[in-house]
Amino acid sequence: MSNIAGKAYAMNVITPIRWYMVWINRLIFKIALSNPSTLKGLITLSLIHYARWVIIPRDSFPRLDPSQPKEELNYSYMLFFSNFNGSWDQYVDSFTFAIPSGLDLFWKWNVRYPKSVPLTPFHDYIRHNQIDTAHYYNAYPMAASNDVKSAKIVKKALIDFNATSADKAPEDFLNDYNKLLNNLQHHFGDMRPTPIVSLSADAVRKRHLQSQID
Amino acid sequence: MTHKLDLTDIQGNIIKAYGRYNFQKARYLFLRIDDGNKGRKFVGAITTKVTSAVPWDKQDTEGTSAVPQATTNIAFTFDGLQALEIPTASQRGFPDDFIMGMSKRKDILGDDGPSDPANWDKVWKEKVHVWISINGQSIDAVKKRYEWILEQVEASKGGVVLLTGHRGEKGEDNLPYQDASVLYDATGMPTSKEHFGYTDGIGDPVFEGQTNVPARVLGRGKLMRDGTWHPLATGEFLLGHVDEAMEYPKTAPKPWLLAHNGTYMVYRKLHENVGTFNRFLEEQSKSFDGSAEMLAAKFAGRWRNNGAPIVHAPDDASKIEWDQRYAAADEAGKRRMLTDFTYNEDIHGAKCPYSAHLRRINPRGSLEFGVKDAYDTPGALVNRRRILRRGLPYGEVKDSTRDDGNHGIIFMALNADIQRQFEFVQQQWINYANDFKEGNDKEVLLGNHDAKNPSKVVFSAEPGSGKPPHFVSNIPRLVETRGGDYFFIPSITALKAIAAGIVDPT
Repeated sequence: MSNIAGKAYAMNVITPIRWYMVWINRLIFKIALSNPSTLKGLITLSLIHYARWVIIPRDSFPRLDPSQPKEELNYSYMLFFSNFNGSWDQYVDSFTFAIPSGLDLFWKWNVRYPKSVPLTPFHDYIRHNQIDTAHYYNAYPMAASNDVKSAKIVKKALIDFNATSADKAPEDFLNDYNKLLNNLQHHFGDMRPTPIVSLSADAVRKRHLQSQID
Repeated sequence: MTHKLDLTDIQGNIIKAYGRYNFQKARYLFLRIDDGNKGRKFVGAITTKVTSAVPWDKQDTEGTSAVPQATTNIAFTFDGLQALEIPTASQRGFPDDFIMGMSKRKDILGDDGPSDPANWDKVWKEKVHVWISINGQSIDAVKKRYEWILEQVEASKGGVVLLTGHRGEKGEDNLPYQDASVLYDATGMPTSKEHFGYTDGIGDPVFEGQTNVPARVLGRGKLMRDGTWHPLATGEFLLGHVDEAMEYPKTAPKPWLLAHNGTYMVYRKLHENVGTFNRFLEEQSKSFDGSAEMLAAKFAGRWRNNGAPIVHAPDDASKIEWDQRYAAADEAGKRRMLTDFTYNEDIHGAKCPYSAHLRRINPRGSLEFGVKDAYDTPGALVNRRRILRRGLPYGEVKDSTRDDGNHGIIFMALNADIQRQFEFVQQQWINYANDFKEGNDKEVLLGNHDAKNPSKVVFSAEPGSGKPPHFVSNIPRLVETRGGDYFFIPSITALKAIAAGIVDPT
């Protein structure tokens, strides 16, 4: 098991919330969704693939089969699910410093939520309620979310460029090509293997490679 | 809020960059402790000469002291603290990075290929326990203090051993010390340059409790939403003080007395491939739209000759104007011109590239990428990644077309959390660039470039100008690690407690 695949880390956090407070959280989510500016910080944090908050009411937990007895739950739960690039620490720290009030708004009504600053109680809260990832598949282990976005932009621009400029006279072609490079200049980052996210995860990887050879 | 530091308790090298006070020469010693009791006595003896952070004054007035001829400071590796027999409960309070030491962290730091510990100076194959630095206003002052330290080693009767194994100027590989010195210009005047010709050591962080903060905080503290600069929290650089996360650093060992007013130091001997650098600059400038000096400025974010920030002097013509303004400014104005800038007018990096050394080491709010009020403060992703930089160049370049020899920088980074501050910058911002949206593109000067997978960077052109960006390709490795380790710099109180063997975490 590992929370890490390639350049990505998968984080699942599930926290109890008093069932009669759920409506407040739903309202907060609604307001956040209708005011994109509230999520600006989250979107600007370029290490995040995505982040999602979902309320699971206490009577709606999925069952594998109708024969599975229903649980009697005292709390509803909030599931936070996110994939990001970099280490757990880097992610949680970035979150805390970049958008502390946003985090507090989303988690405020969750049981025993400490607030995002000071850092250590928040760290402990997330870690305590995190469910480690048992299986994690990554189709593009060398890509961070920025790389994916850039690749899509470059691909589309090249196809368009080919359609509009391929048959132009050399001088015009060069002008168009330089313009293309200018438009794409922030999308040329190299894609190479990930820097080591954690020495433990790297040791696991090395042992796995070794066992393939033996 | 003014936070008063106990400067009598803090080792001087944390607060003072000695080079600024005319200490042109330095000598670094590494020692091993073979006997705990004798080792503690030795630490006690050295402590009598340890330089504190008390401000110096030309006259001996109340509360200040005259500038000494030589300074002495001392720090320990984790193994060294074990050899000094501090209690297990205290040992267990130290963070993993410090316990492991630098060579075991090579995969995080990117110390591979020519920078691999296998290629370091021989002294790093030894058990390094203690670091002692001597900074002197003259080489004679350094030598005099060095002799005194040798006497203390002698007096330990085999309890403490001075380690040999430093590379030297004449091809030696077994020197008992590492010397360092400022570089001098043709007229023999000391400069603040290093071997690639850059003006170094300009924008060190400024934190709560330092003296004369208002004059120095611009561009060096933390950037606030209203555009002002505030000093960083003390706990980013000193244990036992509140940090930017509004808590006491978690890297502090117990008891409080052992940690308080101490910090961690990263010591690195960085060899500079001067011949390669000069050839690379010349080669690259052929295809560059501007002078070779302007290209060199793009690599660093500052012009080589005087440190002018390229963000305010983006090309050869504007550099001439900047120089005129600089010449006309008074001392305070000059300081401002060197440090008081942001990248707000240069969101796209057309002036200062994203991959420039300066922008990578201290992005100054530019990680908001121009999104208005994206984060709590513009420095949200930066304030926890700052390091105090200390050190001096070492060696001399006898032939500027060659790499071999023994010349570079003795680099020391001071921070409260090696992993969160120094290692993060090295791994994520120098050898990787996702935070800058540049994929794996490494910083030009310090990146661990690899001949088998050549690196490149892109220097943006003005967006919408139709001009292509400038591609710098096949970047060779310009700087190689030749040694180093992680050290704990205790307070003077803690030194006395260690020496007396009375560190007690119960």
